[in-house]
Amino acid sequence: MHRSAGPPAEPPRLRALPDALPGDAELIARSVDDPAEFAPLFDRHAATVHRYLGRRVGELADDLLSETFLVAFRRRAAYRPEHVEVRPWLLGIATNVVHGHRRTEQRRYRALARVAAEPERHGEDPGDAADRLDAQALRGPLAAALAGLKPRDRDALLLLAWGQLGYEEIAAVLDVPVGTVRSRLHRARRQTRAALGDVSPFAPTSEEEDR
Amino acid sequence: MNDLTLLREAGPEAPPLSPAARSAARAALLAEIEGPAPRRRPRRRLVVRTGVAAVAVAAAWTAAVVIAAPEGPGTPATSVTLVDFEMPTFPLSLAPEPVGMRPAFTGDGESAGFAEYDSADGADRFTVGVHEDEPDWLEDGYASADVTDRREIVVDGVAADLVRGTRNVYCEDGLTVCAREGFAEILWERRHDQWVLLSGEGRYGRPPELVAVAESLVDRPQRATLAAELAPAGWSVQFYKMGRVLTLVNDSYEQQTITVHVPLPEDVPPLEQVRESLMGPVGPQLDVTVQGRPAALVRVDNGPRDRGWFLQAQFQDGTTFTLQVPDAFTQEQVLEFAEQVTYHP
Repeated sequence: MHRSAGPPAEPPRLRALPDALPGDAELIARSVDDPAEFAPLFDRHAATVHRYLGRRVGELADDLLSETFLVAFRRRAAYRPEHVEVRPWLLGIATNVVHGHRRTEQRRYRALARVAAEPERHGEDPGDAADRLDAQALRGPLAAALAGLKPRDRDALLLLAWGQLGYEEIAAVLDVPVGTVRSRLHRARRQTRAALGDVSPFAPTSEEEDR
Repeated sequence: MNDLTLLREAGPEAPPLSPAARSAARAALLAEIEGPAPRRRPRRRLVVRTGVAAVAVAAAWTAAVVIAAPEGPGTPATSVTLVDFEMPTFPLSLAPEPVGMRPAFTGDGESAGFAEYDSADGADRFTVGVHEDEPDWLEDGYASADVTDRREIVVDGVAADLVRGTRNVYCEDGLTVCAREGFAEILWERRHDQWVLLSGEGRYGRPPELVAVAESLVDRPQRATLAAELAPAGWSVQFYKMGRVLTLVNDSYEQQTITVHVPLPEDVPPLEQVRESLMGPVGPQLDVTVQGRPAALVRVDNGPRDRGWFLQAQFQDGTTFTLQVPDAFTQEQVLEFAEQVTYHP
């Protein structure tokens, strides 16, 4: 059920696909009568969903990837393209699937926090050196901060940061009003900054601008 | 840099999606698309209230039983120190206890989990779930059910939500739909931060029967059916399931686990054939004594991530259990640990 009544503030963004290929929403609509139409959605989105899951639960993502698509397939008739696009919809399902493994997720963050002091390897193109040093120094405190967030706040924050969903998309996939998303994100980001304490590299910015 | 950039750049990285994992997930989806093959009804249902929950339980078990994770933060323990261990308890009991029904508990080290009561023939059952927060997955489950009745009722003077209808029953694999079945559910906040979800089928799918169960709940913790009274220092309960599986995990390296399993009788090989039933046995089968009964201990080696010990032993009532422990244990520690595994079905 979707409690945020009314149409979305913006029309769904259309994904650029070759003319010959049906869009995601069209595939889901077709799959209600012809289930095989659902299969290409796995090919299009498996990597994205797995990456999101993997950042949250590590190796368990292999199992949860399968689970996410099985749940999505079973719930395809309830998908409403006017509410949210398919990629955020899948990430919302993945988020709910992670709920069954909160302890694994928290244990992973805590373990990462403990080992963050170990030397790490960088690729050929490490990017901005200053930012990289900041990031390396903050890796442990950041993981500890994630472990300390309330699950619902963490969901909102990670859908924003890793899923790259907008506020209204997060509201749609978590089935909460957008105001609730704002308050969860505000709380999560405030706690994250507080957990990083004096080592925080952040300049004060508007949270809405950070998206 | 802002906090979102930091999360993206310095947050935990995802392991790569291996071709094997991708193929397995795709195959599972295609199998679902093609439709379930007829399967036997479950002896004990995992969870029927939602497909999501059933799948989650199944996936958690699978993920924990299969020792396959090649990466992970931390390093595996190379030795352990066994210390006294306290299992989590289920916080509620029924007074009076329903005649002929015994609970099986499922949960993890942090949450209260749930207790499932089945009649001997499996036709009547109810599950008591305890949650710190209001469960937010229920509506998802109801979306795939045929809900015929929703109303507010009173349980012990507290407002509660009652939902009735029919929904899918999942097979033991947690994925395949075996049947549809009538259900009733009651959700209420029994006390601050204690939400109880009571879910019934069979005769407990009728509201008066389920309300009677709800009003018989009392604050009396119950111990887990299968428990360990020793554990390595720094390890914790990962989950326990239906009184048949208990998994402990190294908090510093989550790929390192101990699994205690009570197999079904038909899955128990004769003691003299234990070694032949295993993958990767190393060396001879050792005849040992555990809890006063003969047992078999075998070293196994299936690669760097799956080296350790396999023990098949019996509780004093004759019920067989198995242990899978990593090679950080010495042979003596395996036996010491096994002596302190308890079973109260």
